[in-house]
This record gives sequence, C-alpha cells and structure tokens, in this order.
Amino acid sequence: MQWWELALILGTIFAATAAFIWVAISHSHNPAKQKNNAQALTGAAEKDVEHIFNEEFREELRNRGRLHFEKIIGENAMFLQQDLRLTTSQLNDYMKQEITHTLQEEFAKYEESISDAKQLAQQAIEKTTTALDQQRQLMSHQLDQQLQDQKAQMLARFEANMADIVNHYVLAAIGNQIDLSDQLEYILGDLETNKQAMIEDLRRGA
Amino acid sequence: MAPEASQIQLPINLIDTTDINRAKREVEALAEFLDQASIREPGKQPAMPRTSKTLEELARINKLNLLIADQRQQVLSFLEYLQQKAPNIHISFATDPSAAFLGKIVQWFRAEVHPHTLVHVGLQPSIAAGCIVRTPNKYFDLSLRQHFNQNRQSLLDSLEGLKSE
Repeated sequence: MQWWELALILGTIFAATAAFIWVAISHSHNPAKQKNNAQALTGAAEKDVEHIFNEEFREELRNRGRLHFEKIIGENAMFLQQDLRLTTSQLNDYMKQEITHTLQEEFAKYEESISDAKQLAQQAIEKTTTALDQQRQLMSHQLDQQLQDQKAQMLARFEANMADIVNHYVLAAIGNQIDLSDQLEYILGDLETNKQAMIEDLRRGA
Repeated sequence: MAPEASQIQLPINLIDTTDINRAKREVEALAEFLDQASIREPGKQPAMPRTSKTLEELARINKLNLLIADQRQQVLSFLEYLQQKAPNIHISFATDPSAAFLGKIVQWFRAEVHPHTLVHVGLQPSIAAGCIVRTPNKYFDLSLRQHFNQNRQSLLDSLEGLKSE
C-alpha cells in the first residue's frame, strides 16, 4: 500500500466525518427540525456510509488487511525461523560442549580406572615374580640337597658293596679263564683240609 | 680164591650209581645168556651180550672171570652191596670236568675217604672256580666265590688303604 493511497482513504474518512458534524450542528437549534434533520442526516449518513463503505471498498480493505496480516505473519515466521536457527545452533554448541565435557570426564575416569588396574596388575605380577623367585630358590636348594643326599647314599652304598662288586667283577672276569685242570691242586688241597669232616659225616650217615 | 664182596676194588671209571646200575644190568644179562646157553642145542648159540669197559675193568682188577657163575655172582653181590651201602658224594664244578680230572678226584676220594666212594658230578657255573662237595649231611663250599667272601674284610681293608692314599 502506497502512502498516497492511505492519505486518500484518511482524507475521505475525515471529510465524511466533518460533514456529519456540520449537519448535526445545523439541526440542533430546532428540536423538531433537528429531529427531522437528525433523522434525515442519519438516513443520509447511512446512505453515505453504505455508499462509501460498499462491498468493493470492504473487500479492498479485507484484502489489504489480509495482505498486511500475511506480511506480518511472514516477517514473524522469518524472525521465528532465524531465531529457531540461532537457537538450534546454540543448542548444538551447548550439546557439543556438554557431550565433550561428559566424554572428557568419562575418559578421565576410564583412564584413572585403567591406571589403577594397571597398577594392581603390576603389583600382582611383582608379587607373583617374587613368590616364583622364592619358590625357585627353595626348589633349587631342595634339589641340590637331594642330589647331595643321593650322591652320598650312592657313595655309601658303593663303599659298602665295594667288596661284593670287586668279587663279582673278578669272578666274572676270570671265571671262564681258569682251566679246571689248573685247579686240581687247589681243589685237592681244599678236599684234604675237609677230609676228616667228610669221613665223619659219611660214617655218621652210614 | 675169589675175594669177599667188601674187598673188591672199584675201578676208577666206575664212578657213580649210574655206572653201578649199568654194570649190574650187564652182569645180569651175561648170567641170563649163560643160563640160556646151557639149555640150548650146540651150534645155535645166540650172540653174546656186550660188556662195557667198566665191567671188564672191574673184573680185571679183581681177577674175576665173569663166565664163571660163582665169580659172576660175586660181582653181582658186590654191585648190590655198592647200591645199598656205598657212600655217595656229590661234587659240583664250574665247568664239565674231563675224564682224567674226574679220575683223579675219584681216586683221591677212594684213597682218602672210603674205597667204595661213589662220586656224583654236577655243574654250577656261578662258582667260577673250585668245587662244592655235598656229603649226606654236610655241605662244603670250596669255591673261589666262598674264598673271596671269607676274605672280604681283607679286601675292604686293602681298598680302604688305597682310598686313604
């Protein structure tokens, strides 16, 4: 709507109003006349009003109001859209900050938990290593002791049975090498030694 | 005159009860042959049973004729006497002894212990050397193993001496 159109509308309204006022003042001095005038003026006003504010004019006003309302609605929608975009952007930033902050806190807690677990595991490994070292030393000591004991036992057994071992070795070594004929004198000598016992046993047995 | 049964000498090769039994069977076979020969017709004599060198040696050293019944009976009685009364000795060696070696051993027993001693020979390789003699009630370990065992302490002393050096 142009300004001159608005000025034309306002001028028309103002002129109509001034005409009404003048008619009213002129009829106010004679009550009957005034009454008739008033009635006439009222009728004329109604006619003028009907004449001025006809359907086209009303439709024109309605269209102008509709357009104006649409314009205001459009502007408000644009403002609302901008505001919504701004709010969305701020909300995104806020969410990012909050999420980042929360994640950082959670990561910090997670790192702290991992660090604690690592420390616990390290302590456990150290304890296990220490225990293993102690066990290894103990086993090594026991093994050495057992080896020493076994060695001593074997030596003692060997010394105790040394004579038997030598006897067995000599008998095994020379047993097949001595001819029986070479033993005759030795055998006869032994028989001679035990001759009396044999004779007595044979007499007793007989 | 023929000698008494207990006075008959034993040959060296008649060693143990098995030899006695064999000689006795031979004498009995000879006696049976001669009895049969006396009742058979002339010219149809069966072959005379063979006698072993052991029996021939027994008859020879005692100057007995086995063809004569009395002397044959005397030998038979002697062999029965040996079966019942002769002292038995068991002797074991590490290896199987030769006949000459065994003859000397038997000769020693019959000369020193009893003239009618019967010797049973066994084999025991574990004794290595020497012998083991068993009489009816006694056991004489004359082996080298036993000799070593008896001298075990002296061997130990010697080994201890070597160790201390």
